[in-house]
Amino acid sequence: MDELVKKTPKDKKINCKNLHDYLKTLTPDVLDRLYNHPATCLAVFRELPDIAKHYVLRLLFVEQSLPQEVVASWVSQAYSKELLEVVGVLSELRVWQETSLTGGLVGRILNPTFKKNMKIAMNGGQDLKKMFSICYKAILMFRGKPWSLSAQMEADAKPRDIPFLDKYASERWECVLHYMVGSQQQQQEGGISADAVRILLHAGLMKRDEEDGGSTCITKEGFQFLLLDTPAQVWYFLLQYLDTVESRGMDLVSCLAFLFQLSFSTLGKDYSTEGMSESLLVFLQHLREFGLVYQRKRKAGRFYPTRLALDIASGKGNVARNSSHPGFIVVETNYRVYAYTENNLQVALLGIFTELLLRLPNLAVGVLTRDSVRQALRSGITAKQIIDFLRQHAHPEMLKEPPTLPLTIVDQIQLWENERERFTDSEGVLYNQFLSQSDYAVLRDHAKTLDVLIWSNDQRRTVVVTKEGHEEVRKFWKRFSKGSNM
Amino acid sequence: MDTSEDLTESSLLVVVLDVGLSRATTLRNDPALAGQVLEAVIAFSNAHMMMRLKNLLALVACDTETTEWIYPESKADMSDLRQQDGQHELFNELERTVRRKIAQLLKRSAGSNSKGESMLSGALGRALCYVHRMQQEERQLNARVLVVTANGQSVSQYMNFMNVFFTAQKQNVLIDVCCLGPESSLLQQGCDITGGQYFRPPQPQGLLQYLLWVFLPEPLLRNKLALPPRVKVDYRAACFCHRELVDIGFVCSVCLSIVCKFSPICTTCHTLFKTPGTLPIKPKRKKAKLV
Amino acid sequence: MAAEDDGKEYRWETGYEKTWEAIKEDDDGLLDGSVAEIIQKAKRKRMLERKSNARLGMMRHIFVVIDLSECMADQDLKPTRQICTIKLLNAFIEEFFDQNPISQMGIIVMKNKRAEKVSDLTGTAKKHIKALHQVESMPCGGEPSLQNALEMAMRSLKMLPSHASREILIILGSLTTCDPGDINQTINELKEHVIQCSLISLAGEVHICKALAKATGGQFGVVLDDAHFKDLLLLHVEPPPAAAKLEPALIKMGFPHHVTGAVGQSKDAPMLAICMCHLDVPSECKLSAGGYFCPQCNSKYCELPVECKACGLTLASAPHLARSYHHLFPVAPFAELPFNAGDKNDPCYSCQRSYSASKDKNIYKCGRCLQIFCVDCDIFVHETLHMCPGCASHPSTTSQLK
Repeated sequence: MDELVKKTPKDKKINCKNLHDYLKTLTPDVLDRLYNHPATCLAVFRELPDIAKHYVLRLLFVEQSLPQEVVASWVSQAYSKELLEVVGVLSELRVWQETSLTGGLVGRILNPTFKKNMKIAMNGGQDLKKMFSICYKAILMFRGKPWSLSAQMEADAKPRDIPFLDKYASERWECVLHYMVGSQQQQQEGGISADAVRILLHAGLMKRDEEDGGSTCITKEGFQFLLLDTPAQVWYFLLQYLDTVESRGMDLVSCLAFLFQLSFSTLGKDYSTEGMSESLLVFLQHLREFGLVYQRKRKAGRFYPTRLALDIASGKGNVARNSSHPGFIVVETNYRVYAYTENNLQVALLGIFTELLLRLPNLAVGVLTRDSVRQALRSGITAKQIIDFLRQHAHPEMLKEPPTLPLTIVDQIQLWENERERFTDSEGVLYNQFLSQSDYAVLRDHAKTLDVLIWSNDQRRTVVVTKEGHEEVRKFWKRFSKGSNM
Repeated sequence: MDTSEDLTESSLLVVVLDVGLSRATTLRNDPALAGQVLEAVIAFSNAHMMMRLKNLLALVACDTETTEWIYPESKADMSDLRQQDGQHELFNELERTVRRKIAQLLKRSAGSNSKGESMLSGALGRALCYVHRMQQEERQLNARVLVVTANGQSVSQYMNFMNVFFTAQKQNVLIDVCCLGPESSLLQQGCDITGGQYFRPPQPQGLLQYLLWVFLPEPLLRNKLALPPRVKVDYRAACFCHRELVDIGFVCSVCLSIVCKFSPICTTCHTLFKTPGTLPIKPKRKKAKLV
Repeated sequence: MAAEDDGKEYRWETGYEKTWEAIKEDDDGLLDGSVAEIIQKAKRKRMLERKSNARLGMMRHIFVVIDLSECMADQDLKPTRQICTIKLLNAFIEEFFDQNPISQMGIIVMKNKRAEKVSDLTGTAKKHIKALHQVESMPCGGEPSLQNALEMAMRSLKMLPSHASREILIILGSLTTCDPGDINQTINELKEHVIQCSLISLAGEVHICKALAKATGGQFGVVLDDAHFKDLLLLHVEPPPAAAKLEPALIKMGFPHHVTGAVGQSKDAPMLAICMCHLDVPSECKLSAGGYFCPQCNSKYCELPVECKACGLTLASAPHLARSYHHLFPVAPFAELPFNAGDKNDPCYSCQRSYSASKDKNIYKCGRCLQIFCVDCDIFVHETLHMCPGCASHPSTTSQLK
């Protein structure tokens, strides 16, 4: 009676999850273990919506669970929609739990592990006792695990300053990007290690070209990846890396916790590697390769986190323009793009969606044409990504006037994209071969009321419903056909 | 990557802490309480810093003798700080600086025995200068001030307070007041003028919870959360002669001081007045007609 | 408002400037510092000129006279003299009522040899802003008549009680005036009634204008460009020293309670009433429970300060009076000290900024509390805060009342 209509998505868009989306994919068990580290709790906390943050803080020092109704009344009625969102997020991330109270009420209480470690992050372990005595007396004491970055050590004989670290980080990261683009500079700088290549392959950003003796080449997703801003790139890359962590025999939780600790460390300060486990040291070496941390020697015993690492868990809104890299692109209304740069990588990126006209020592000129943009769109890049890229790297002169990019250009790029999208596809389940018109009509109307109907045709008695609605409709149909048979 | 998110990126909170608290009559019975207030303020400061990466914090303290800049220190020495005991290092630095400097302040003022008012207006003035500087350095900075005090009725500082309130209003800075002493109509006025929240905890125990509930939400978020209602503010003027609130008073045309009864000489600027002219009588006549 | 727009204008749209004459290179051949210095020096100079505890005319009654004659359509101020004037006046009115909350203002325009009152003496800024909006769209034409405008303003001002400070501020674009009689007589009359007349000329110096200002104790200025125009206008935000003839008086004033809209069950729960301020505009006239009630006759108003329409009592709130206090007790100017990079210096007392040799040529010291401040705080304290944070931090120096 029914059959699955399955279409493969036409263009796989790379989905750069934020921290929240990523955490949702983890199992409850892993989440609970993660919350054993104060740094993770703080990172998760920062990522919450504003109202949810206040919820956590309000509940932080409350020991018994509160009735759901009480908790809901904290938000004024006009904003009940936001309340729902908050409740959803807090439950998804297992930040709070449901309990049942006497009298059949549903109560809310913070996840005890989360609560304990939030307090530690906030006030330090030693002062817990004092804190509690202020708020609520006689509370059980916990001592948290110390941050593993805490070891005291002697000052570095040759401390590295912040500009040095910035330079190092961007060099390392560009090295990875260069490898992907395959521009000439790659040979000079020695490329990247086999491990990094493996991650790129795993992430689907590169693929092995079978014909060409197994050399790697960039994929559609890779192109999209290149156009992201640096923090997003780093985050995406790390997500892919974390996927492979367990297969390497490393512990996901300890890696994640270490990452979050890194992100709360201070730029320009050195930290000791003392007491780190063998697998964490391997992890550190990988981070070093991508420029997230700096180490003079592999066995130096100390490392410096770089800006790339600090950006990881910095919460939303921090992807703002990187001040150390001023923009270099000027876009004119005549579709010409001027890039004031000597960097081959940047010129190569520009070449993805423009037709390069000339190349001067410090300037590359390209023109946006229908063909060049369609070429880019065909390789899976979206119009938004192109526009974002241009906007993100806009020359300071362009930023002076409010619409950074000429509106005509923005519109045209979007129109070019729309040209390609005359079809929209959605997954669904097909119902056909109805015995009677009335059967067909009943099912169609029911699907309509459930708001799951995608398409229907009266002559051919065919109905397509969404995949999510399928189960519901099927049940209904079974009940209905049973009833009518009797 | 929502652009609207960027607008509320950083917010600056300046806490003005009155450490003359321990001398305030209401708290005298419980000397440990002043210490607890300090703990609560530190925890509250940490909570503010936790909200967003780019949040900024400053802390000014005052007592009856002086005001003292507590945090941030202009030349902070970060070198010896290490993450300890699970606490975020920034929070640790904040806590240690605050404790150290408050202790210094208390030690210095321990000898003196003055029972005057706390130098709250001076501390507020310094706070606003700091906000002014930060606003010039970084645009789109939300700034607000939280005053924690037990002593809000300062007769001699009335004018200073008013200047502070109007300046804050001009700068778009909210002044929140957490009042641990008797109700202060002066500070209530300040909150009302600047759009801040005035709150007097029913009991000073569990102060942190009150602080987190009432004062932690940023101004933009406040209308979304259910908060204590605005207090009704008495805007009547107090006469300069008896410090009593008046409905109808007389105002010197030269110095604008308020007196409750007609007097031939202004006590503030020593101007001589003629006997009541036509104006003060005129309304009375009208009133008589109306009645 | 006007200040924000300044930055956005195109170069060729900005006014006539001669800034290059004032700019000098500093030791490193840089210009930036010197422009900021010029501005700061001017600000400090004005600060020093202000005398403390002078008797000021606090209850100001001012008529702003705007020229709308032919020559106001000239384009030497951009976009035209008329529009530039209106724009700056908008800012002026806001600032004026912010600083002088219990004062009153009226607006008169001059055109076609006649004077026309566009808004009467009142204390609400909104009305004047509205009136100015009308003036903006009025066509310019004919010649102005100084005498007619002065007479009209005088007719209103001379009725005021003797303690009120009376002023006329004229913005004149024309170089001529077309008067029905002898203007000298009018000037004498103005003098008699202690009305201070100040003029801002957009064109040039004219003898009669200067004579008028001199005779009545006002100021006369000719604008150089729009920035200078703004400067001249804003000078009038500060209350003028009280004229000797001004008789001090004690003025009866009401301080109404604010009754909120919530209907309580107590016996003094507010009744629904129509406010007195919107009686003349039927569309805005609404019944409501909340508002300010005159303590003398119980008529209701929706905002303060206001003069009660029923009984003539001035209604204000304590902060309104307090807003003006700083004129009477200004912060004494700080002493300017040279900054030596070598010295061990604490950061600025109030904003905690550490001094740097490149930015701070001078540092500033309060004569009373002996604390040291940076340039920015010096200006901020004197222009906005009106209170020295150092003095307010010590019991012996805290009170400004002596």
